[in-house]
Amino acid sequence: MIPWLLLLPLPLPVLASVDKTFGVSPDLVSRYVPLASGNWKCLDGSKEIPWSFVNDDSCDCPDGSDEPGTGACPNGKFYCQNKGHIGASIVSSRVNDGICEPECCDGSDEQPGVCKNVCKEGAKIRSTYIAFAHKEKKRLEDLVESTTQQIEVQEKEVARLKDIADRTESISKAAMEHKQQSPLYLSLIEHSEALKALQREHKKHLEREKALGDILNTLRSGYNPNYQDMAVLEAVRGWEELAGLPHIGEAEKQEESSETAGESEAESDKETPKEDETPEEVWTAEKLETDLDPLLNTDYVSLLLEHDEHIRTPHDEGSLLFDVTSYLPDSFIPQFEEFKDTLVSWLRTLGVIRGEGDSVSADSTRARQAFTDAERALQRLKDENKKAGEDLAEIFNIHGFGAEGEWKKLDGTCLRTDSGDYTYELCFFEEAKQIPKHGGTTFSLGRFESWNPSEDVKPGEPEYYKKQVYKHGTRCWNGPERNVVLLLTCGTENALLTVAELEKCEYQFTGTTPALCLPLNEKSARDEL
Amino acid sequence: MRSLTYLSLLLVVPQTLALKAHDFKTCSQSGFCRRGRALSARAREAGEKWISPYTVDPSSIAIASHQATFTAGVKSSLYPEIKFGLELRVHDDGVVRVRMDELGGLRKRYDEAASWALISEPVISKDIKWTAGKKDIRAVYGAKKENEVVVTFAPLRVALLRGGKEQVVLNGQGLLHMEHFRTKTPEVTHTEEPEPKEGEEIVEDEAQVVVKSENPRAWFEGDKEDDWWEETFSSWTDTKPKGPESLSLDINFPNHGTIYGIPQHATRLALPTTAGESPFFSDPYRLYNADVFEYLASSSMSIYGSIPVLHAHSAESTVGIFDAVASETWIDVAHASEKSTETHWISESGILDVFLMPGPTPNDIFRQYARLTGTTVLPAQWSLGYHQCRWNYVSSDDVRAVQKRFDEEDIPVDVFWLDIEYSEEHKYFIWDKKNFPDPVDMVNDVAALGRKMVVIVDPHLKRTSDYPVYKKASELGYLVKNKNNDEYEGWCWSGSSAWMDFFNPGVWDWWISLFKTQKLENGWSWTESTEAVHIWNDMNEPSVFNGPEITMPKDNIHHGGWEHRDVHNVNGMLYSNLTSQAVARRSDPPKRPFVLTRAFYAGSQRFGAMWTGDNLGTWEHMAVGVKIVLSLNIGGFSYAGSDVGGFFGNPEPEMLVRWYQVGAFAPFFRAHAHIDAKRREPFLLDQPYKGIVRDILRLRYSLLPVWYTAFRETSVTGFPVLRPHYVVFPKDQAGFDIDDQYYIGASGLLVKPITEKGATETKVYLAEDQVYYDYFNHHAYRGAAKGKEITVPAALHQIPLFIRGGSIIPTRERPRRATTSMKKDPFTLRVALDKTGTARGELYLDDGETYGHEKGQFVWRELVAEKPVKKARSVRIASKDLGLRRPGEAVEGVALTAFDPGNAFAKSIGDVRVEKVVVLGLNAKPTGVRVEGGGDLVWEYTPGVAAGEKKEGTASVLSIKDPKVLVTKDWAIVIEW
Repeated sequence: MIPWLLLLPLPLPVLASVDKTFGVSPDLVSRYVPLASGNWKCLDGSKEIPWSFVNDDSCDCPDGSDEPGTGACPNGKFYCQNKGHIGASIVSSRVNDGICEPECCDGSDEQPGVCKNVCKEGAKIRSTYIAFAHKEKKRLEDLVESTTQQIEVQEKEVARLKDIADRTESISKAAMEHKQQSPLYLSLIEHSEALKALQREHKKHLEREKALGDILNTLRSGYNPNYQDMAVLEAVRGWEELAGLPHIGEAEKQEESSETAGESEAESDKETPKEDETPEEVWTAEKLETDLDPLLNTDYVSLLLEHDEHIRTPHDEGSLLFDVTSYLPDSFIPQFEEFKDTLVSWLRTLGVIRGEGDSVSADSTRARQAFTDAERALQRLKDENKKAGEDLAEIFNIHGFGAEGEWKKLDGTCLRTDSGDYTYELCFFEEAKQIPKHGGTTFSLGRFESWNPSEDVKPGEPEYYKKQVYKHGTRCWNGPERNVVLLLTCGTENALLTVAELEKCEYQFTGTTPALCLPLNEKSARDEL
Repeated sequence: MRSLTYLSLLLVVPQTLALKAHDFKTCSQSGFCRRGRALSARAREAGEKWISPYTVDPSSIAIASHQATFTAGVKSSLYPEIKFGLELRVHDDGVVRVRMDELGGLRKRYDEAASWALISEPVISKDIKWTAGKKDIRAVYGAKKENEVVVTFAPLRVALLRGGKEQVVLNGQGLLHMEHFRTKTPEVTHTEEPEPKEGEEIVEDEAQVVVKSENPRAWFEGDKEDDWWEETFSSWTDTKPKGPESLSLDINFPNHGTIYGIPQHATRLALPTTAGESPFFSDPYRLYNADVFEYLASSSMSIYGSIPVLHAHSAESTVGIFDAVASETWIDVAHASEKSTETHWISESGILDVFLMPGPTPNDIFRQYARLTGTTVLPAQWSLGYHQCRWNYVSSDDVRAVQKRFDEEDIPVDVFWLDIEYSEEHKYFIWDKKNFPDPVDMVNDVAALGRKMVVIVDPHLKRTSDYPVYKKASELGYLVKNKNNDEYEGWCWSGSSAWMDFFNPGVWDWWISLFKTQKLENGWSWTESTEAVHIWNDMNEPSVFNGPEITMPKDNIHHGGWEHRDVHNVNGMLYSNLTSQAVARRSDPPKRPFVLTRAFYAGSQRFGAMWTGDNLGTWEHMAVGVKIVLSLNIGGFSYAGSDVGGFFGNPEPEMLVRWYQVGAFAPFFRAHAHIDAKRREPFLLDQPYKGIVRDILRLRYSLLPVWYTAFRETSVTGFPVLRPHYVVFPKDQAGFDIDDQYYIGASGLLVKPITEKGATETKVYLAEDQVYYDYFNHHAYRGAAKGKEITVPAALHQIPLFIRGGSIIPTRERPRRATTSMKKDPFTLRVALDKTGTARGELYLDDGETYGHEKGQFVWRELVAEKPVKKARSVRIASKDLGLRRPGEAVEGVALTAFDPGNAFAKSIGDVRVEKVVVLGLNAKPTGVRVEGGGDLVWEYTPGVAAGEKKEGTASVLSIKDPKVLVTKDWAIVIEW
């Protein structure tokens, strides 16, 4: 309905003037003013037309610039202000077409009364995100402060333990060298190295097998059964048998027949890795995977000392002496160590104890252990402190969670959508994944790389946050790494709307989030005037 | 290297890509066709001595009380004891219907083909009278008594004359032969041993061959029973329990050298010969609806549909025949001389039921044929937009993503299609929930942007008890039976399948109920559907993967006991007929349905659109597709198109662009692709191709008012939407063979879609001394009264599209994403002045989806540019109300007696105006342009060639800015210079 047209008798007088800047984007508003002659120049400069022709619902300029607020010119742009939101541009073919464009939440793309103004809702949610960011900032600041204090304390502790360890070790160095000539020790080291080499080779083979498996899975899910290529069919069937997979056509049928079938299949999928397990074996495949590394990381020197100790039990002289530190209060230890050093050297000269005292070595290892543990704890604290500091910096960083921290809330939030045979998952600022619904390999589609990388977009501008890039996902077979571009628009919900593989391995996700629903700020208020 | 590759491709294609020719019969593999051609060969050999054995018994002639009908007994000298009945009726429009049947035979010949094809029983003339003489019976009629029908008694011969000249002659060559029903006699061995038989009382004893004595009928019938009782093709045996019952008839056109029609064949519009000296095709044209995989781009083979209507044309007159036969039919075509045509029709079963349409112009034939079988439907307006199809969009998200991509690129599209893979195990209606978990939401997402979906429903039902449609149909006995009268089982997409038998009237209401979108109290209905879903009927030849010639065995049994052989060619039409009723009746009041069919028959034009089936992505198929669609338009089925891009293969961008140009100028415009083909939606193209295709699609949308107006005319008059040259210029001999350029309705738009690789220019034939304007750059070309070829640019981005001088083209130039968003858009008028400085056009509008137009809810305007009587140096462009002037001719099916220009629809577009008027070919720069009774208008004038000059070159262009005249009102714009 265009009421102002309906009322007019024939012939129609000049239309009641529509605001000449209606539909003009803020950066162009300054150009929508009449010349002194009363004319107006098309933006491309190609033509001069009477000012009254601007926004008169009749196309005059070859570039369409005279009709920013109507659909009269093809290929033009219409700007909707979306008060309480980010303004947006739509193509002129969407103006007055009877459909409310989601980009124009203020409904200005249609005649008054056709579309509701829905700009407000998203901004409210966004403000809760900002509040969250401020809370988060406070939490992190507190964390930084408390960890800084803890670090100070811990640093002192580390220094003290280092001192002890150094002292204990200094008396045992020479003795150690002798012990390390032990055939048992040497053999152990060689075993260990052989095992490490074996582990390395095994890993290579595992990776190779997995790569082959991936290729075959792709073949299995991608081949066209209608082609009847027997070589392909045989390869697929062989792989299915080897990998214990159901035949691809039959698997689908099973699922369709009942829901429980799907569940049981999922269960059997879980069980598949366990099939290799032989109960008699001590080193199961699983144990091998989890426990071999710690085993190979064994401190063989400690072991050597413990071994010596073990075969010489019960303890003889000196054990009490060398263990005595553990009974002493911390503040006495330095004095005690001094005293002990003197005592030991004295005893050694007397031949009471042997210079390369076994217990001394055991003790020095334990001291070293205490020192290492303390150092690790310190590192953890420092890391925590550093991360909190960094997170703090990110919250209100325009390259991170936005100037107002409105994106912090979504950090790690995962959205999912189903498309075809896959579920797509995107965890904000982390990773995007493609998860097959019916078994098979989950592919990483990339990890968070940046906001809109386009040079045309200034970081911090609303446009900047409408695009996220996730990069370096699993490499495509015979192709590049998978990447995702996520296009976001303002919406009251965080949701993934569509997934499309625009080009090979280049995915485009679209979604909505309230984080993009800007409230009316002073700048855009000025633009309106 | 490149050319070498190309060469080797050419060599390989016929072997790998070409159809499996051995799946389909040639005439020599078909018993009755072989018998028919043998009969013709014997006649040819006999020459002058050949005399038809059929004669009319003058004593039996009975003229009906209304006098325009007579009946008579016919005898064959071969079988004097067999009775045949002849009947001729003259309809009130001069069409003559000739019927002949066996009387009192052992069985009944199928006589219901016409009842499915005709819209109603034709009205018999009240004025025309038969007058019986000694040798013949004749009727003279017409305004000037120019028409005459003469039925000669001995031998039987029917001739339609005009001005004393024979137009159509039946049995002029003596090839009429109606094989009567007989009982099967024990196996006859054509041995030397004579077999004396005791059953002398058996009259049908032609089986008894007394070898020593000459078979008295051999001169006519041949001397052996050639596949009378059983026939084997490949691994299939047709049991033929009824024995031989074929019908042979020669139909001659002694004064017409060019024939058109009998679609569907992949060949030229003007049909090449199949018989006589050095025939173009070796086999007759075949009409036997068949799913021909990768059909040839030039062949007389039958493909998916059959319309047994033929136009015979000469510079003097046009005449037509419609042979209402539903069984397999072969048609031989020959020219004894350049000026005559001889055709020979060989059908497997059924009565003789031929309509002779006297013409005398192509448009008269269209009108006469339309009065018999109805006109092309006035389609829902949205269905004239662009259709995007593929086998298959694989999920509801896929559909959403494709829609989004179209919108991102601002490419218009109206309909998204779903091929068979939407359905669970190809149980049509039943969604595959794995990939389409939310079908109604998906359809609603499409409909939210004003678009529609078309979903396929094929006639084969998966035979499984968990399919409610099959279960019910099987329980109620609604399925086609095999020769043993058990449910027929064949293989199709859904595996083991059964086929709906639409000849059973009990099926009809049930089938209609299936499409209801609301839950029904008793029985299943398609609740997971909405009114935005329309239907595609594929595979309705019917296609049966494991059947003879990929279809049903001929000895299958339909309702009423008729064999499939009797009804094969009408079978597919019944399906789209019922489906279109079902779709229309989902809503109350009903809305116009869209149903696409692959198989068709005479009358199918009433139920929706057709397409030319599974074409190949080759230039040859692109080119022949245009010709097939033109042939369909001649055959009364205007709503036709070919798959843009070709169903099979991966067209290169150039080919795809050209194919979009072809599609944009076809009545039905759909892109489709095979499941193995790469995706090729327009948004996937690189530049410049993407931009070119977008412009083509926008051009199609801007011209929708022209298409819709053309469809209105078609729906009322039967005049085709696409008009090849001979239709517009019937007297221009040089244009008879032209089938690569055509006019769109009466609009004056002439187009020549380019269908060859690498073209940069092309030749266009102009048949008249008139100015033609290039649609895009306004270059004025001049034709000549004798006909003239012009050379025009035709680079990839260029479409040879011309406005015939004297036309006014209404368009809507605002690009929109779909037709529904255009309803309130203003119009642009292109006024292309003719040599005398005048022009005319029409614009028809209605709501585009309901049947409100039948109740007068429409706007029908005449647009004219005329010279005011008093002022020489001026032209007056005016809009007049045609609805008011000619209410009775406005819409199809109802003769309105009055028209209200202020009807509700007109009111709903009361504010829709003309936003621009472009006048081409003015003599001089105007001094003033104003609305009559109103103020001066704003305009721009570019000097150039005037319409009345002899020069060529860019025409003068007057562009009038926004006259703000309303499309529903009378108005006039006066231009003075």
